[in-house]
Amino acid sequence: MQTREEKIISGKGIYVDDIVMPNMAYCLFVGSAYAHANIKKIDLQQALSLPGIITILTGKEILEAMNPLPPTFGSSDWLWRTPIVYPLVLDKARFYGEPIAAVIAESPDIASDAANLIDIEYDPLEPVVDLTKAIEPASPLLYEEWGDNIQIHKKVEFGDVQRSFEEADRILKVSWRENRASGFPIEARGCVAFYDKMTEILNVWSSTQSPSRAQYYLAQALKLPMTRVKITMADVGGGFGNKLNWWKETVVALAAILIGRPVKWVESKREFIVTGPHQRDVLWKGEVAIKNDGTILGIRAKLLVDLGVESTCREGAARTLAPACQAIPNAYHLKGLEVDVYGVVTNKSFYGAYRGFGKDKGIKFMERIVQMTARELHMDPVQIRKKNLIQKEEFPYEQITGYVYDSGNYEALLEKALELGNLPYWEKEKQKRREQDRYLGVGIGITVEPAGLGTSTNALTMARVRMTPDGLIEVEAGQPDIGQGSTITRRKIAADILGVKMDHIEVKRDNSDMVFTAVFSSRGAVYPTSALAKAAKLLRQRIISFAADFLNESPSNLDIKESVVYSKTSHKEITFKELARKAYFSPGPIGLGTEKKINHEVVLDVSATWFSPNTARHPKSTYTTFCAGVDLVVLEIDKHTGQVNILKYVHVHDAGTVIDENIVDGQIYGGIMQGIGEALYEELVYNQKGELLSNSYSDYLIPTTLDSPNVIVEHLCTPSPFTELGTKGMGEAPIIGSKVAVINAIEDALSPLGIVVTESPATPERIRGWILESKEEVE
Amino acid sequence: MQVPINTRINQRSYELEVDARTTLLDLLREKLDLKSVHRGCEEGECGACTVLLNGKPVCSCLVLSPQINGAEVLTVEGLMKDGNMHPLMKAFVENYAMQCGYCTPGMVMTSYYLINTWDDFTEEDIRKGLEGNLCRCTGYTNIIRAIREAKKYKDAGYWW
Amino acid sequence: MRNFIGSRSISKISYFCPKSLTEALDFLDNCKENVKILAGGTDVIPAVRSGKLLLIDNINILDIKSIDELKHIVFEEEGLRIGATVTLSEVIESEIVKNNCPLLKKAIDQIGSMQIRNWATIGGNICNASPAADSAVSLLALDASLRLQSKGKSRLVPINEFFVGPGKTKLKSDELLTEIIIPKRNGNSTFIKLGRRNAFTLSLISIAVFVQMKDNVISDIKIALGAVAPTPIRAQNTEKILIGGKITEENLKTAVQTIKEEINPINDVRASSEYRRDMSGELLRKALINLFGI
Repeated sequence: MQTREEKIISGKGIYVDDIVMPNMAYCLFVGSAYAHANIKKIDLQQALSLPGIITILTGKEILEAMNPLPPTFGSSDWLWRTPIVYPLVLDKARFYGEPIAAVIAESPDIASDAANLIDIEYDPLEPVVDLTKAIEPASPLLYEEWGDNIQIHKKVEFGDVQRSFEEADRILKVSWRENRASGFPIEARGCVAFYDKMTEILNVWSSTQSPSRAQYYLAQALKLPMTRVKITMADVGGGFGNKLNWWKETVVALAAILIGRPVKWVESKREFIVTGPHQRDVLWKGEVAIKNDGTILGIRAKLLVDLGVESTCREGAARTLAPACQAIPNAYHLKGLEVDVYGVVTNKSFYGAYRGFGKDKGIKFMERIVQMTARELHMDPVQIRKKNLIQKEEFPYEQITGYVYDSGNYEALLEKALELGNLPYWEKEKQKRREQDRYLGVGIGITVEPAGLGTSTNALTMARVRMTPDGLIEVEAGQPDIGQGSTITRRKIAADILGVKMDHIEVKRDNSDMVFTAVFSSRGAVYPTSALAKAAKLLRQRIISFAADFLNESPSNLDIKESVVYSKTSHKEITFKELARKAYFSPGPIGLGTEKKINHEVVLDVSATWFSPNTARHPKSTYTTFCAGVDLVVLEIDKHTGQVNILKYVHVHDAGTVIDENIVDGQIYGGIMQGIGEALYEELVYNQKGELLSNSYSDYLIPTTLDSPNVIVEHLCTPSPFTELGTKGMGEAPIIGSKVAVINAIEDALSPLGIVVTESPATPERIRGWILESKEEVE
Repeated sequence: MQVPINTRINQRSYELEVDARTTLLDLLREKLDLKSVHRGCEEGECGACTVLLNGKPVCSCLVLSPQINGAEVLTVEGLMKDGNMHPLMKAFVENYAMQCGYCTPGMVMTSYYLINTWDDFTEEDIRKGLEGNLCRCTGYTNIIRAIREAKKYKDAGYWW
Repeated sequence: MRNFIGSRSISKISYFCPKSLTEALDFLDNCKENVKILAGGTDVIPAVRSGKLLLIDNINILDIKSIDELKHIVFEEEGLRIGATVTLSEVIESEIVKNNCPLLKKAIDQIGSMQIRNWATIGGNICNASPAADSAVSLLALDASLRLQSKGKSRLVPINEFFVGPGKTKLKSDELLTEIIIPKRNGNSTFIKLGRRNAFTLSLISIAVFVQMKDNVISDIKIALGAVAPTPIRAQNTEKILIGGKITEENLKTAVQTIKEEINPINDVRASSEYRRDMSGELLRKALINLFGI
């Protein structure tokens, strides 16, 4: 049997762009030339007259046929404004590239030729492009009815902030800005939609991370019952959160219905970057209450987040503001925390999910605070960390923000990283190079990664494991494989529990028929894995009890190995194949014991659901498991150019029980590389007109082979008491820890110059600027 | 404008009429159904569409299809033998050198060229050689490992 | 303002692929209008896709990649002669170039990626006239000349005079760049490129220096910079300061100051003009330190 990987590497993977259907038409979007403009007139005449053009949809057709995009999340205790959003502009364009028309043509080339002929008359408005200016009273407004540009607001308070500040020896002021960045996997978004008249079902094959969510969005938008919409996952060329949004696809589906033909939309990379989900873009200003011995007592902060055009309808990433606050205490004891958080709208593309989903922001803020505290007190950041770390005997640990940490040994992780990093050597090297006017720095980032969100649809999971009549096993567990290896891990889990040969297990491709399926929130090793383990254990019991009946043996004497049930005391055994033949055909269920028949347990087909015991008992602990990582980086800065050269990289990880170390390592290597990219050069830059300048891979730089360091990875293991197998969700810690470790290292390297790093990415130009500024001050 | 061309693709000769504006990428994918050749950025920045043209890696998105007249093209499909994976591909799978897989066929073609070109190579050589193949998932670590393992297969006399 | 379209298709084209130079020059002579010369196309196709370059419908594409007369690399009395459609990889891999013009090899090795270098041509890289073209920067320091041919005519233009502005050159509509000629000269050289990431990135700024020494003083120095002006340029004021002297702490300082004053870099998404100005000095410092080991 060919594995997913063998199939894909042989060129037989079917990504959306590989789907070909008879009579298929092609969709191309035409977007706004301005970041902020009223649309006065759309002239389609010339475009429509081109041979091979089938139709062109604009806001007018959308308004007739569709509901607004359905907001999926809300919050009663936050200011939470939900604009009316349609996938095509109705009257006012609010970001550069916002889709205004969808051209449907016989070929992509014809669609492009026609798109060039569409004439749109704009009435440009002043754009809102600056996060801090957007909240000034004089700012132009994106949504006039709101009266300001604030979409989300709340002041959250945890623990006793007041007291923490009263007990402080000193107050440290901190500021930290992460500029706009996103994931942009090599494959962009896309779908093929086809309305099947026979089944009366709208079928969509999509490069989505969640067919379940896609089904809901599409059904709502097109006013269809969900049962009439079926989403099937194509092979997905990477997601990282960027393929959870679902809105342009509704236009493609509508076109398919209107023209009665399959319609394909495959987005270009530039369209993905310009109209895709954006992330980060936060500005923190805060005060930290500290004691002279290095204890961090409390934090008061104001957080501004640039949500772009909106973040509740194209996708629900406005939600990331909650974990951004709740994740702040990270691996440390903290007495009090207060965050005044604002989600601000500007004329930029929408805010969507990207690896880290908000929790990253709080954690990075905290790790910057640790570094700045050390500096303030002239102490080693390692000492500050040790002073404040949660100790191994304190687990499960209830954080002031309500998260209940399952298990861990943070100090051991840190010690291991220090050991592997050979810090004494680098400290000596640092001094040596300083004498030569060279700048070497060491940076650390600790990440406690909240994983497996238990709110709304996130917590829905169901696994089904069955033996098919041919004696093979089929596994279904809502955990689509978008490259994170869930086909392998699901197969491994089932094989281990059932005692089945790996290639006797088929993992079902995810589609919207499942109860709920999605990749996000590092939920894989939490929700679906636990449900799958539960179902597999039940099926194992049932297989053994079936075999006991057929072999006339006591179940307790039986065990399974290599797809054979055998007796530990006699020579009796039965293969899965034979067992299935007996169970399904001859003699069939009639041959089973009376008890089973009375209890209706006559099918080798088991389903199980699962909900986090952690979240069940502690509703504020919206996440279930808390894996941890320590990143340690040594780098040198060229003071003349501002370029950074990474000399050593260590990552120590605790993801609880590990199902497949190679898969976990793959997540670590990839996450670190993305974090380094974000720390050093990935940035979505808008000009004053609100045009996105870094709109291709030549300007939105993602790391190449020559940018990736050799990473030393080591695992420690404290199994989670809250999951079925002791596993912890993982995959996001490395992107978080790596970014802040690199930033901390840069600051460490530049510390002789008195430089505080307040902004990322730390591009050569920014670093050089800080160096020059500090020199001016010295002079 | 239709242009007649003669070309060899994956060891097979073709006489084709191509629209001059069609890129090699589209010709391979849409006309010849060689779907291993992935559409990435279509601007030569990502390497997902890498094929060997007269034995050398190029971005097929930057080649106009008439330009392969008289030339030879090799894709992942042409590396396979009787439906079996090439040892290089096997090394990729065994070493977890792919995650989402979208960059993988392009990565394989560049790697194939590198291993065939050099008698011996260092990690730095591999890194420099692969600079034009972007991968967003793996951090490249396991890809570099796979190439080293593949080289061992080649040196050990596996079919190549 | 033009509407946003993520990626535009290549427009309908008339494609002509001559096998000989005569045929190509005849073609240019006959149809002076609406011709786009194509070699590797590694710059043209992205420019069309992004909408930066609009090709009119049924534009005449003259593909010169099949012309054998433009594929030579020879070293003779005149110097090093490289045909216009030699690919960047062929330049790097050439023993002749390696032995006679290491500066060119070093600069071209850092252009694009291997896939790009395997398809892009040296002539294309020059004629595209990007202010950041690394090949042009090295050729400026090498004092190269370009042979431009039209039907029955041929002229040599010093590369120093070839560029007019971003994307603009002295190439006439009936002319073709056929070869690059690098004069035979002994000397030392260096090339430094600064990008935002370590590989496969457009130059924020690049510098090439070629220096000749006589009796321990600099008898001639040519300094060229990329991405600091509308075209790749020579820093002639800076050169003047250095010619006839030795490199000392003092004149190094003056040279760094001078080069910063004689350039006129732009602000763009990749870097600010201030940073480019600053870096022109720093890269010059690095280059001179490389060359003179101070």
